[in-house]
Amino acid sequence: CKKYLDINKDPNTATTVDPKLLFSFAVVSYANLRSSGDSYIPFALAGQSVATGGNNPTGWGVPSEEQYKISSFSNANSWRAYYTTVGANLKEAIKLAESASPVNNNAAAQNKIVLAMCAYEATTVFGDVPFSEAWNTNISYPKFDAQKDVMEGCIALIDAALKQFDDASPLKISDYDLFYKGDLNKWRRLANSVKLRILMTMVDKDPTKVAAIGTMITAGNFIGASTDNCLINYQDVAGKKNPKFLLNEQYNNGVDFFFGCNYVVDFMRNLADPRLPRFFTKPDQAADYFGVENGATADDNVNVRVSPLLHSAVEPEVFFSYQEELFYEAEIQARGLGVPVNLAAATTLYRKAVQQSCLFYGVDAATAQTFAASLPDLSTVASPVKLIHMHHWVDKMDRGIDAFTQWRRSGPSGDETPALKLPIGAPAGPLFRRFEYPTTNEIAVNPNAPKNRIMFTEKMWFDL
Amino acid sequence: QDRTITGTVTGKDDGLPIPGVSVKVKGTNNGAATGADGKYVIKVPSGSTILEFSSVGYVSQFATVGSGNVVNVSLGQDAKMLGEVVVTAMGIKRETKSLGYSVTKVSGDELTKARETNVVNALAGKVAGVRINSQSGTLGGSSKIVIRGGSSFNDSGQPLFVVDGLPINNGAPMVSTTSGSVPQGSAGTDFGNRASDINSDDIESMVVLKGAAATALYGARAKNGAIVITTKKGIKGQSSVTFNSSTRFDNILKVPEIQNEYAQGTLGLYDRTTLSAWGPKLSDVQGRLFPDFLGNQVPLTAHPNNAKDFFKTGQTYINSISFDGADEKSDFRLGYTSTVQSGIIEKQKLNKNAISFNAGRKISDKFEVRASINYTRTKGEGMPTQSSNDPNVLIGTNYLPTNFDIAQIRNNYIDPVTQQQITITPSRNGNNPYWIINNNTSTNVVDRVFGNGILTYKPVSWLTISDNIGTDFYNENRFLPTRNGTVGALTGSFINANLYNRVMNNDFIVTFDKKLNSDLGLKVIAGNNIYETYSRSDQALAQNLTVDQLYNFSNAASVVNQNGSSKKRIVGIYGDVGLSYKDYLFLNVTGRNDYSSTLSKDNNSYFYPSVSSGFVFSQIMPENNWLSYGKLRASWANVGSDGDPYRLAFAYTGQSTAFAQYGFGSSFPFNGVLGYSIPSIIPNPELKPQNQNSIELGTELKFLKNRISLDFTYYNTNTKDQIVNLPLPQSTGFAFKTVNAGSIRNSGIEVTLGLVPVKLTDFTWNLDVNFAKNKQVVTLPSDIASYALASGWSGLQIKVESGKAFGIYGSAWQRDPNGNIVIDAATGLRKTVNDQRLGNTAPDWTMGINNTFSYKNFSLSFLVDIREGGIMFSNTVATLRNSGLSPETVANRGNIFVDKGVIQVGNTYVPNTVPVQSMQDYWGQYTSTNTESSIFNASYVKLREVNFSYKVPSAFLQRNAKFLKGLEIGVEGRNLWIIKSYVPGIDPEANLFGAASNGEGVEFNNFPSTRTIGFNLRVKL
Repeated sequence: CKKYLDINKDPNTATTVDPKLLFSFAVVSYANLRSSGDSYIPFALAGQSVATGGNNPTGWGVPSEEQYKISSFSNANSWRAYYTTVGANLKEAIKLAESASPVNNNAAAQNKIVLAMCAYEATTVFGDVPFSEAWNTNISYPKFDAQKDVMEGCIALIDAALKQFDDASPLKISDYDLFYKGDLNKWRRLANSVKLRILMTMVDKDPTKVAAIGTMITAGNFIGASTDNCLINYQDVAGKKNPKFLLNEQYNNGVDFFFGCNYVVDFMRNLADPRLPRFFTKPDQAADYFGVENGATADDNVNVRVSPLLHSAVEPEVFFSYQEELFYEAEIQARGLGVPVNLAAATTLYRKAVQQSCLFYGVDAATAQTFAASLPDLSTVASPVKLIHMHHWVDKMDRGIDAFTQWRRSGPSGDETPALKLPIGAPAGPLFRRFEYPTTNEIAVNPNAPKNRIMFTEKMWFDL
Repeated sequence: QDRTITGTVTGKDDGLPIPGVSVKVKGTNNGAATGADGKYVIKVPSGSTILEFSSVGYVSQFATVGSGNVVNVSLGQDAKMLGEVVVTAMGIKRETKSLGYSVTKVSGDELTKARETNVVNALAGKVAGVRINSQSGTLGGSSKIVIRGGSSFNDSGQPLFVVDGLPINNGAPMVSTTSGSVPQGSAGTDFGNRASDINSDDIESMVVLKGAAATALYGARAKNGAIVITTKKGIKGQSSVTFNSSTRFDNILKVPEIQNEYAQGTLGLYDRTTLSAWGPKLSDVQGRLFPDFLGNQVPLTAHPNNAKDFFKTGQTYINSISFDGADEKSDFRLGYTSTVQSGIIEKQKLNKNAISFNAGRKISDKFEVRASINYTRTKGEGMPTQSSNDPNVLIGTNYLPTNFDIAQIRNNYIDPVTQQQITITPSRNGNNPYWIINNNTSTNVVDRVFGNGILTYKPVSWLTISDNIGTDFYNENRFLPTRNGTVGALTGSFINANLYNRVMNNDFIVTFDKKLNSDLGLKVIAGNNIYETYSRSDQALAQNLTVDQLYNFSNAASVVNQNGSSKKRIVGIYGDVGLSYKDYLFLNVTGRNDYSSTLSKDNNSYFYPSVSSGFVFSQIMPENNWLSYGKLRASWANVGSDGDPYRLAFAYTGQSTAFAQYGFGSSFPFNGVLGYSIPSIIPNPELKPQNQNSIELGTELKFLKNRISLDFTYYNTNTKDQIVNLPLPQSTGFAFKTVNAGSIRNSGIEVTLGLVPVKLTDFTWNLDVNFAKNKQVVTLPSDIASYALASGWSGLQIKVESGKAFGIYGSAWQRDPNGNIVIDAATGLRKTVNDQRLGNTAPDWTMGINNTFSYKNFSLSFLVDIREGGIMFSNTVATLRNSGLSPETVANRGNIFVDKGVIQVGNTYVPNTVPVQSMQDYWGQYTSTNTESSIFNASYVKLREVNFSYKVPSAFLQRNAKFLKGLEIGVEGRNLWIIKSYVPGIDPEANLFGAASNGEGVEFNNFPSTRTIGFNLRVKL
């Protein structure tokens, strides 16, 4: 009888796995979140880095996320990704790596860095979020940590990872490492750059971070080449295509739903930016590249759409790029954050950043170099920091939440770069500032969660 | 001149002679009674032609004396009378009067008069305390049974279905390519619940066992009650052929009303990119031309009958034939039923063929064998996809602004030259409903076999040893195609799923039955049960199809496979000791110990006892004229139950896809790597069996020679230590953890009242009323504020809190301390607050009223079904309002509208004076940010069933058509009329959550329910 009843082992699941198997699922889930309808579309539209094209028949249509109608699915699915499919699997991989015998320190460190990226992003999306008590099977109702504490926690996690790397050990995630194939030096550089990104987000609210930034700039070892870019490649194979591409392929006969918005296109057109044809498709009838006002109905003969060259099946999802690193460094030099103000160094860095951006988006090397060299010397412009911010934001045009965070941290309310206006059709009131907390999968279930509705127009700690 | 008539009276059910039947010649004092062999002899004076046969426990019958001298009669058992024998748990036949708990029997005749393709629906309104909840009007769609209120946080609490002693599967598995407890996308397609494979024509009787004391012997499986079905068998001495034919017509029961004043568009302007009706007023734009969906320049005109024209009249043909017969030693019955059905939308079909065979033989005086086998093949086509997140969702896209002409859409869904879809808007929501209907027809085919063999050995008269071994298995193939060119899946896709399910069951029972002395009887039953269920699903999603309409994996650029299986075993030993004293005092004690494979070795054995007693006090009362029968019942039971398999150990699951919104996730292997994930539920190795304690008290009273009968039951059931998947905030990294926590107490009353207001020789009026009221109270551990049973969309949840019943929660209007709605001063629109309790999902009470009028051989009955209380959410109503289609959205368009409410100024509230920007904004805000606005009172009064039948008198047949033993014709109607309801345009019974979920009260683009009118012919040869 005992043997007859001893059948309660699920034949379809594993009781032990290599941490790399959890890592791969987590990072693919993370990439999909960032490039799909739950994160990319709401942040790109509400953050106005692209436009819907209003009532254009083959545009995304209004009312939409551009009018701040954010589906509760998007709030809930983003939260679910940060905390379960991505965060919890990374956390479990860390646990498995550290409890293995011998300990797989490198795998633990690799997972910690991605977890820090994930938690940082979660707090930039939602504000105060569970961190110190999250992902713990012994704590059913995690408390919500202040955003500052979450960011500090992410920095601590990165520091721990950096200490944990062990070049002497052959144990690490390599074949399943979709970023760097197990190159620990690239991981170290990513870790430093991610830490710098977090400090740069904090520094305006918490000026004590200036010193840490200075220390980091002195020490160096950031992402230093496009080969260091942290990204996940999609493939032109069914089931592995970039979700942005799939949306256009499956709903719109391959026509891109999204239009270039005035903020981006006007800025680029005025510079005759060589990235324009890489970013946008110009109608044959149009004399030049013209965007559309956010929420306005786009004219197929006038307004540019996002190019299939950008929203291609194989467009990678970028988590951290070399040019992003260079823009931070340019900003640090221009603002003198922990270093003396050095506009010459800043000029070199921001031109290099734009050049790298051009190269990344497929502009040929000579054109990229010429264009970058043609950009004004920062010592000659009225607001050098704003110019760096604008270039930085334009580079992140297709990176939803990253562009939105860049915009929010670019200046105090009303003085951000660019100076966004309320999109047509958006409810009167302040600009969009965040996702609201998801009700069903967190707020309603967690007695430690804030009970008052925090509106999407409310600023969070780092957002001045 | 007097004649001498002879004959035999037998029981309709078993063909055995009935002794003691009173035989009277109508209009005279001549009377006789049948002997032990059922035979009678009576003198009939000339001029008298009618004999009346009556016996306690049987329905009285009149027979006409023809030219012959022999009148044989078979009497049917009277469900309301005493002396009735019912099949109780484990197939034990017991006299109703001996039971200490309430049972309700529905005879097969009841089920075949107005035939339902899903037998579960036939119970609606007929049994006190039993609620039927059908998911949709989809052909073959699923129905859920809730007995005495939901008793589980975790499952839908479906009763156990037992057919001839074999527990069979009643699953309603979802097939989804996205995981989640909400039936979304393809999982919203209603493929039915598998109890619908039971053929109502094969059912002799259906007994509803409601309480734990009644089902205790079944063990854990029947903690939610049991439906014990006995199938028809050959009747001794009556070799016959029975033919039953029904033709029925179905049409939509309720169509939402659509406004016919305003055209497609937004903010008053015509816009063919939207399906909203916020466009111009038709009367304002007469004489002007606008481009329609075909690109033609047309005037805008109203088409008020679009929704009605969309739905057609469905047809159903149910034909069954059975052959049966028996002699002293053997009996057999062979039945075949064909059901051919077409739905109320084009391309929707259901085809069901059921064959059953049941035979028994006495090998010797002591040894008897019996076997039954049932094979059902069901093929459904064109099941609509409900809910959301699937390009094939149909309902919603067919409710169109009035300027559309549905006939034009029907005739122009495909471009004859390019074979491409002609969409009704150029935007991403523009699928032509007829493209979906004609191309994306979901199909399922179920092949199901169940049957058992029973060996009975009776070495001595007081000892019976029997073994009942049976199996039930089915394979279901589901196929959901999405043709290339469907917006949302332009490159085409299909899902193919095979679901396999098997139940194996063996019961070995020894029965000792002896009169200890003239007053005291003892019956002892001991048994052993071995039970195994196994289910397996293999499903594949194929994407990017190359050759149009070729649904083969070789035609797909990508195929994502998923498979899973689960197995569970229970071993049980049980016993039942029954004592009877002088046929009026009865006591039963039962005990069962189960060992379940799903719990740890330390926790997997659990025992549950029950005690029940019946006292027929009228037996010891002096003879009187007012009380003909009186009985008291009392019972107590404590039952335990296990959980689902594989809930104890932490395990990692290989992932076939990584999610991305709009259904475009990535499949693994991705760039050469596989992916695994932790479970979404934290398992619990310490899981204990859950425990249910219940008491039931009741009485049965019959007055004035059975003209009034009353059955009253009070029950109180507490299910504690529930095995629940406690929802966790996802910041834990998990969605749930499995724990033993919380309890649900259901207490209530059930009243069944039978009246015979009029009883004349030729005319009888029977009035049967059943009433049930259940109060559910949940208790949660103090650290759990609330528990979500099921989630809907946009913040809607079915949840519980301590001290309350299952309820719908969601966003509600913000109100000031005086209850006024708070308006946003910036917009003039209402403000909302999240996570408010909006009401109970279950009704306060339910009632069924059945009137039967019999005149000679005519019979007319109608059943009114009433539900009072509880709420429902209708997404269809929300969508229609949001898109300006509902008639109420016509008001104030173009006018200044100031919503009634208050504006907060500092800490005070002043009456609102801020007008809304537009009615489009108003209704948009009204429906999209708020759950409360689409919540309705779910009460209803329905005319559930009407039957009219005429039975050709046997005397007439004997004279004119001797080859016929019986001929009956009838007109039947089901779900005829929603007499009263509070939900605009929607059947208040619609429920998105299928039979597998305990979610209720949420309608989400559900396929509408139908009204049925049909004709029935029954012939017995």
